Amino acid sequence: MSTISWLTARGLFGRRRFLLLLPLPLLVVGLAVLARWAGVSPTHWGGPVLVGLGLAVVLPVVALIVGTGVLGSEIDDGTIVHILTKPLPRWQIVLPKLAVAIGVTAVTVAIPLYVAGVLAHSVRLGLALAAASAVGAVAYSALFLALSLVTRRPVLLGLVYVLIWEGLLGNYVSGTKVLSVQQYVVTIADRIAPTSMLSAEVSVPVSIVMTVLIAAGFTALAITRLRTFSMAGETS
Amino acid sequence: MSTETTTPAPAGVIHDIGYQRYAGARLGRRYVAGSLYVHGLRTAFGFGRSAKAKIFPWLIVAIVAVVAAGLAAVRSQIGQVVLTYAQFADAMSWLVIFFVAVVAPELVSRDLRSGVLPLYFSRPLRRADYALAKLAALVTAAWLLLGAPQLLMFAGAAFTTDKGMGGVWDELLDLLPGLAYAAIWALVFASVALLVASLTGKRAFAAGGIVAVFLMTTPIVGVLMVMPSTTVNRLAGLASPSSLVQGVGVWLFEEWLVTDTAAGIGIGRFGPVYGAAALLLIAACVGLLLARYRKVASA
Repeated sequence: MSTISWLTARGLFGRRRFLLLLPLPLLVVGLAVLARWAGVSPTHWGGPVLVGLGLAVVLPVVALIVGTGVLGSEIDDGTIVHILTKPLPRWQIVLPKLAVAIGVTAVTVAIPLYVAGVLAHSVRLGLALAAASAVGAVAYSALFLALSLVTRRPVLLGLVYVLIWEGLLGNYVSGTKVLSVQQYVVTIADRIAPTSMLSAEVSVPVSIVMTVLIAAGFTALAITRLRTFSMAGETS
Repeated sequence: MSTETTTPAPAGVIHDIGYQRYAGARLGRRYVAGSLYVHGLRTAFGFGRSAKAKIFPWLIVAIVAVVAAGLAAVRSQIGQVVLTYAQFADAMSWLVIFFVAVVAPELVSRDLRSGVLPLYFSRPLRRADYALAKLAALVTAAWLLLGAPQLLMFAGAAFTTDKGMGGVWDELLDLLPGLAYAAIWALVFASVALLVASLTGKRAFAAGGIVAVFLMTTPIVGVLMVMPSTTVNRLAGLASPSSLVQGVGVWLFEEWLVTDTAAGIGIGRFGPVYGAAALLLIAACVGLLLARYRKVASA
């Protein structure tokens, strides 16, 4: 099990690839420092940086790239065969990979958001954002990992979810907010540290229950899909 | 084959089995580049490929077409212009981002991954031709995505106009800036997206990277907008490709784009700066793209 995690981590970070994940968190911190230095009131820049950039873009995009990368790139390269032929139960393949994805996403997103939250308001807000983004990382990673087993184009389908469902519809059709991980994350952060910068749109119990359901459900789906997984060549 | 007298008797004979040199017309570099362009344009919409390849492009086309049809219907029934032609391009910007994120990796990343570039470059095609043909295909595809629905709206307006030919002519004069504005969108977005996609052979990473570039830069604009300096506020749009294009639009097509004086991004007197920045961005992306293809697959 630890071998799988180690292999996955090396696949993600090997050959300086981890450098590609750096610009996004640095941007969050950089913008927060810039705004703080220019003396802008946090009520003006808190929303765009913390929610508009951090929770609505950096968290889902990092989770999407990492979450579809841990298993999807092995499927693309065909190296998944080497793991599937080992006498391992499928859950022992899915869970370590999911754990690596969650860990990497949570660390990449939570640290810059903590810094930005401290700069914007208080340590409490920073911790709230870090905790909420870690929770979000669990839900997003499970979702995107399952996507990479359901379809051959997981990133595009994930982008449809992030851009169109959460981004476009979430703003205009309020009903879709009940089924949006982004709203759960905002709600949880707002519950831990109530400020005027975050506005919770769904209730706290709904967020927690739905996050757990999404995480558990998509993990189970991923394990089931991997049980009946059939290798196929590159489709057009 | 005759043997020369000075050499010893041959151990074997090469028989002439009728191989001939190709004596027909050679179509050359321009034809190859043209084919690559047409092929790229077909790839963009999934023509000549499986149904799976058509899902995402046509999903976007369908959304854009439905919006345009809805706008045309509202206009013909109520007579109110909800969005002008130029504003339509603005409203669809998210879908353009998604479209280039779908299409650009299809155009260049697949070739990188499957290692066919040496085969292309062994033809009369130059490396720059390949890159420019792909870029032209992506620009055309993105322009069609924005332009075709505008034609739909134009058709709706032209057939329901009650001012005769004059009304149609006025409508046409409104349409042309809209199409030109769509071309600016297509140029900027396509060159940025193709550059990002050409860096990786993995379509998944390419798509994620393209969306990241466009989405990450948008909040920078939001932060710069609230900075305590008017000059910084006016120049904030330069930070993101989307707002850069909108700034150029406000500069060139203000009459058509800004119907509501309160709305839109304020660019003050910095319009030419936005224009220059857009040109510079396109030039830099194309330059880097050409530099990338000068090296790639040369080993």
